[in-house]
Amino acid sequence: MTSRGVSRRQFLRTSAGAAGVAGILASGRAPATAQTRELSFLTVASFVPDTDKELKRQFDEWGAKNKVKVRLDIIAHLQLVTKKASEVQARSGHDLTALGPGLGDADLYYDYLADLNDVATDVAPKNGGWLNEHDYLIRGKWKLLPWWMPPFPMAVRTDLLEKIGEKNPDTWEDWLRIGKKGKAIGHPFGTAMGHSADANVTLLSIMWSYGASYVGKDGKTITINSKETRTAMDFVKRLYTEAMDPEVLAWDDASNNRCLNAGKCIGIHNPISAYESAKKDKVVVPGSQREIAEVIDHVNTPRGPVDRKTTTGYWCVGVWNFSKNVDLAKDFLRYHFQPENLNKWVEAGHGFNMPFLANLTKHPVYKSDKQYRHIPDVAKVTVPPSWPGPTTAASQQVLDLYIIPDMFAQYSTGKMTADQAIAWAEKEMQEIYAGRRRKV
Amino acid sequence: MSGSRARQIRPLFTLYLPVMPFVLFALFPLYFMLITSFKKNAELYDPSSIPFLIQRGVTFGHYQLLSNETLFWSWFVNSLIVSVAATVISVVIGILAAYPLARMRFLGGDSFGMAIFITYLVPPSLLFLPLSTVVNRLGLSDSLWSLVVTYPTFLVPFCTWLLMGYFRTVPKEIEECAMLDGCGRLQTLLRILLPVAVPGVICAALFAFTLSWNEFLYALVFVSPAELKTMTVGVFSELIRGDIYYWGGLMAGACIGSLPIVVAYVFFLDYYVSGLTAGAVK
Repeated sequence: MTSRGVSRRQFLRTSAGAAGVAGILASGRAPATAQTRELSFLTVASFVPDTDKELKRQFDEWGAKNKVKVRLDIIAHLQLVTKKASEVQARSGHDLTALGPGLGDADLYYDYLADLNDVATDVAPKNGGWLNEHDYLIRGKWKLLPWWMPPFPMAVRTDLLEKIGEKNPDTWEDWLRIGKKGKAIGHPFGTAMGHSADANVTLLSIMWSYGASYVGKDGKTITINSKETRTAMDFVKRLYTEAMDPEVLAWDDASNNRCLNAGKCIGIHNPISAYESAKKDKVVVPGSQREIAEVIDHVNTPRGPVDRKTTTGYWCVGVWNFSKNVDLAKDFLRYHFQPENLNKWVEAGHGFNMPFLANLTKHPVYKSDKQYRHIPDVAKVTVPPSWPGPTTAASQQVLDLYIIPDMFAQYSTGKMTADQAIAWAEKEMQEIYAGRRRKV
Repeated sequence: MSGSRARQIRPLFTLYLPVMPFVLFALFPLYFMLITSFKKNAELYDPSSIPFLIQRGVTFGHYQLLSNETLFWSWFVNSLIVSVAATVISVVIGILAAYPLARMRFLGGDSFGMAIFITYLVPPSLLFLPLSTVVNRLGLSDSLWSLVVTYPTFLVPFCTWLLMGYFRTVPKEIEECAMLDGCGRLQTLLRILLPVAVPGVICAALFAFTLSWNEFLYALVFVSPAELKTMTVGVFSELIRGDIYYWGGLMAGACIGSLPIVVAYVFFLDYYVSGLTAGAVK
């Protein structure tokens, strides 16, 4: 028997359904049970494409296991600054993001990054612990996970060493001597002295090797004006005038790779990327059929009178706190940082990407090619660019404004005296650390 | 005989030879792009090789790399879709804005015209941050629509300004005749002014298409998925890896990328020149 009117039960059912639909439409979001969970990750294109492929494989695998739709977006590292700025401005974008090249990003975006203390604590014991745990803390907190670094050994042409009667060098003075001899036969030493990340790395390495630094351990005192800095500057001036060509003042990060692979430079301070690309492209020594990769060797970053230290790009990963998927993002990080996954990822990168975890510095890949043998040694003496001070937005700005390369270049080219160049750099750094330049 | 020979030779000295340095200067980057895209990597690295010639044989490897190992053709199509859509939208809005500013007298008309021009001068590097908030609120992030919507922010002021200049070169009297015959404003615009102003419209469209096609910053910021990237961003992302630049691939991408622009200008060059010059003298 049917009634022509609407029963109370029908009315309630219809009303509840309508209210539900209205609620969904008003919120613009599907109910939790129907939502597909999504996780996105923005990272930079690795020099070794297989690294990105392995990361994508792991991301997809984790997504399939957890029924999460995943998206890995890869951009050139030069684009990352712009992309991060826009995502923070819009409070929207990817859930996970690469940070770098340096730890300073985490201080700059401190208020927008989720705390990763729990993840950092979970993943470290499984991988033999962090290499230098305190280096990675930003204002005492884990605002990022240090992900990978490309260690900076020295690449040298062994055939040219033989020609000038030298052996593999070990100290900066050795390199000066070899560079002089090399330049005399048309094969100078090459290190960038312009506005490039490589210039920051090599010139900081020289400063530390001669006992100089630009900021104290307290992260406040500017220490650039010192006897040690003057000694380092005198050394670089000799290196520039006696062992290098003036073109190094205009070099970018790719220039030293090109100089080595073109058969011109006798040696460069660089990750193994130059060697790897020479091997891949079968580049030959000019005027011969011999592959240039066969006459390249890699040695430890040079020692100075005081120390042996270097730095590099500290590539890190963070989770935006405006992400709706912070927990999922952390879960993926735990998955990626499992020893077996990190091992596969390092292997895919041919050792170019070394994690900041003790066990990974002993990865078999570093024994797979004679060229990689010194990379773990280089990693041991690698410190953040702000060393001995902590990483801050100010330390990052010193790098981003290329104050150190400019200081060395002004003196080396004779445009300023050592005192003038140091006084200029000191003033710039003091302003940055006082916060006056941060809003520029 | 000698007179006609002199007449034949004269353009060589008065036209072709004087123009030759400018032509070479303009074409050199294209030539360099082209030969670099066909050189083998080993030759690209060799400092003893002559950079302006291919000495060790031609390779199509860089084009194969683009086609087989990247999403280059998807990026190409994305660029085409975005550029055509943004151009059409901007030219239509530009026409509708330029007509009243060029023809009608109303309070603040001149100031409004100046304000449009000033808007064009605001650099995208300042605008991308606030625009990213707008794009996000519109829910257009990571879609080609984000570019179709944002490109007109710099295209519309430009098209409006260019078309204002061109519309002013068209005699007002022919419109007045049409109005006497019963045409309204819109009909006058569509049936009288636009057919006469075709060179100006094509010129604005060409410029708008070129600016959209070459745009980099918004395409980088508003679109992340690899399959949705435009060509400018895609090529840059895939072929610069750390401190290794795939020069051959980059140049191959640049060569293919310049083709639509070259084709467009070849077909519409006369319109382009007359569109620019007519607007310039009024």
